[in-house]
Amino acid sequence: MPFIIRQISLTADGREIVRAATLAKSQLSLGRASTSDIHLPDLALEPDHARIEQIDARTIRVRATGTLGFDVDGRTTRSAEIETVKGAELRFGGHRVTVSREDDATILTIRRVDAVSQASEEKEESEVFSLRGLAPPKRLTAWGLVLAILIGFLAVPIYSYASRPTDDTRNIYSVKGDGAWSSGPLSQAHHALEGKCETCHQKAFVSVRDSACQTCHKDVHDHAPAARIAMARAEPGIGGKFLNLVASTFGKPPQGACVDCHREHEGAGPMQPAPQAFCTDCHGSLKDRLRDTKLVNASDFGRDHPQFSALVQRMNGIHPDFSREPIDGRLTDDRNLKFPHDVHLAKTGGVARMARTLKAQAGYGDALACKDCHRPTADGVRFLPVDMERDCQSCHSLAFETIGGTVRTLRHGQPDQVIADLRAYYRSTGPARPVALGGMARRRPGDYAQGQIYHAYFGAVAARPSRADDAIRAVFSKGGACYDCHVVTPPGVNGEASWGVLPVNQPNRYMTKGWFDHRAHSTETCESCHAAPKSHDARQLLLPGIDSCRTCHGGEKSSADVPSGCAMCHSYHAGDGAPWAPSTPGGKRDEADRPRQTGRRQL
Amino acid sequence: MATRASSPTRRAKGETLHDGFLRHANFRWLKIATLLCFLAIASYLMVDITPRHNGGSWYGYTMGTIGVLLILWLTLLGLRKRAMTRGRWSLKAWTSAHVYLGLSLIVIGTLHTGFQLGWNVHTLAYALMMLVILSGLFGITVYATLPTALSNNRAEMTQVQMLEAVRAIDRQLHDAAQPLPQGQAALVRQSLGDDPFGGGLIARLTGRYPRCATAAAQAALRHWTGDHADTGKEPLEKVDALLERKQAMLARLRRHLKLKALLEIWLTVHVPATFALLAALTAHIVSVFFYW
Repeated sequence: MPFIIRQISLTADGREIVRAATLAKSQLSLGRASTSDIHLPDLALEPDHARIEQIDARTIRVRATGTLGFDVDGRTTRSAEIETVKGAELRFGGHRVTVSREDDATILTIRRVDAVSQASEEKEESEVFSLRGLAPPKRLTAWGLVLAILIGFLAVPIYSYASRPTDDTRNIYSVKGDGAWSSGPLSQAHHALEGKCETCHQKAFVSVRDSACQTCHKDVHDHAPAARIAMARAEPGIGGKFLNLVASTFGKPPQGACVDCHREHEGAGPMQPAPQAFCTDCHGSLKDRLRDTKLVNASDFGRDHPQFSALVQRMNGIHPDFSREPIDGRLTDDRNLKFPHDVHLAKTGGVARMARTLKAQAGYGDALACKDCHRPTADGVRFLPVDMERDCQSCHSLAFETIGGTVRTLRHGQPDQVIADLRAYYRSTGPARPVALGGMARRRPGDYAQGQIYHAYFGAVAARPSRADDAIRAVFSKGGACYDCHVVTPPGVNGEASWGVLPVNQPNRYMTKGWFDHRAHSTETCESCHAAPKSHDARQLLLPGIDSCRTCHGGEKSSADVPSGCAMCHSYHAGDGAPWAPSTPGGKRDEADRPRQTGRRQL
Repeated sequence: MATRASSPTRRAKGETLHDGFLRHANFRWLKIATLLCFLAIASYLMVDITPRHNGGSWYGYTMGTIGVLLILWLTLLGLRKRAMTRGRWSLKAWTSAHVYLGLSLIVIGTLHTGFQLGWNVHTLAYALMMLVILSGLFGITVYATLPTALSNNRAEMTQVQMLEAVRAIDRQLHDAAQPLPQGQAALVRQSLGDDPFGGGLIARLTGRYPRCATAAAQAALRHWTGDHADTGKEPLEKVDALLERKQAMLARLRRHLKLKALLEIWLTVHVPATFALLAALTAHIVSVFFYW
């Protein structure tokens, strides 16, 4: 029973060519070797790959001879028996062998099914030479990203916002996903509101309103009546008008809203003070629009700011009169005290000598310094009033008698007590007893005669109580203990029957519209601003004028050591406290604090 | 359209045939874009925004509006490029403007931010914009430099010819390897079974194929050929020579594929990033007005 081998190959145009050969053998060898009965030029095959044997009329056996097997109907095996009537499909490497039977002959139909190499397989030029299939598809990536972004950054926050509880009084609900909408961190003070956007952004597509701020800031002072502010505001230029038009078109509130000055989302840390421009919009040319205002125009501290005005006492007495006057260097303020600063601060002379004497006891230096009498308030902003007992009495003693080592002093601040004490003193003490009166010396006749020692002493004893009037007069008169420092009213003046002293008034604040913090200026000496060492009269107001400040401070945008906007000294929402300022002011503070030899001004 | 049809050879004034889109009209759009950037920077420095520059100031909104209009217009190139025209409004002029105005967007977009960046949707839009611009910049660079290299590498061959050359070598290898014992034949089969277009994106872009089966096969076969004299009769010698030729051909083909990939890859960033940018821009603008 012969084997008929049909080898099918394809021409270039795809036509099949069948070459048939009949091999009248009962066993065929199959392999890559050219000596094989069935020679398959296929590198996947061994040179001697398999045997095909006829077992009986109906069956053949296929058996691998080498190490590699073959496939029968898709299953790999090394040996198989095949009924030729039923047929089978064998696979040797890249060749397919179909077994069938025809007229008692076993037909082996062989065709190459795999290309010689990978490269030889059919390829679409535009595909294999491009990145198609290698790089992620553009369209898919694009739509994927679009969807992800629109859902994550738009749909989720909007849905969360729309579905939030309407009456959100407890403020524990926060919209999900809108954190990505925040353009920057909130300032320190508002940090707790981070992530609760709807606290301020109360309505969608409606800009933040003052009412949102006033939910918490309930007692903020208005700067001035709204009508006057409206009048005071400068007319914007063409650009400004256009911007206002755009702003109102987009639903921004009119000028003067909280957010105009207090910008948020500008970074963590303290909120920055309102810039100068927000003040000077009105105050730069206020007089032009508010003709009845008493305020002088001010547009920049360095260039255009009126001289400071101090609240001074115009008329002293028990019904004093005060007025605000510009500090011009000759301004006086009579507070009923006589005190020459120059004498007390002199490096030489009696006061300095006294200071050296009391050095160890009172902690003075080689001469008196400002701090020996002027003590700062607890917050360091201003100074406590000078206190006679604490600050003067170590030198200016009111002692008048020592009893058993205890010094008796006149009572400061109580003229009636002084008078009473003096009278008591003269009533209870005698004049000094002459030495000649005592002892065991023999007394001679005539000692009691007028002009002699006994007469003089006992006469003095008799007259002593009436000497008190003289002493009282002396204390309250020129050269006396009170008169040296105080304004004394003699009996009869102001309807008083006795001597009186006008109260000394020591204001702790002269400039009530601006703020000055002494502690912030602790690197300066007192004399660099206050010309106290040259002042011979307590009535001279030693406050420095604006020129003194301008040696360091300039306008907000100036190149001065300390660029200073309005908000450094002035508060928009007028109150008693200091104008709000961040705890770490910007500007060139380090530079400003360096020691300076020049630029000290004296009034 | 009628005028175009009637005078197909007419050229716009000042246009020469060999001008690329970069040099178009004597760098007209480069000049315009530079002026735009200069104006933007100068106004940024001169305009006093308190407390500091940010996207929410009037200057910021102005820059933002210019930026978004530019982005929308730049995106339209995707539609415009499908209709080639000549003259002043030619596709080349449009592309030139696309390139230079797109680059100026770096300045406009950055000034719009006021240099305030963070982890939010606004910065996402900015980052995507920069990604689009930088990928575009890469695209311009490869368009300007690679075509010469591509042409040099091809040595007058077409792509199909390159592939045919590999196929021819493969056929010869297949025939030459027939007498080889099974172990050696398997090595040759490895080379034949290796897809010259395989290797993944990284291999395509770098031109490095460390697992190239042809190189591996040749290296392995040299264990046998290495200590044998070259007699010219051994089938292995022929196979070795063929593998050598195949490697050279593959190197050329892979260089070609690398250059083509570089010319193509930036668009797979540029285009999806553009769409992502449009989405982020929408979210950016809507969110700003939502929490107005």
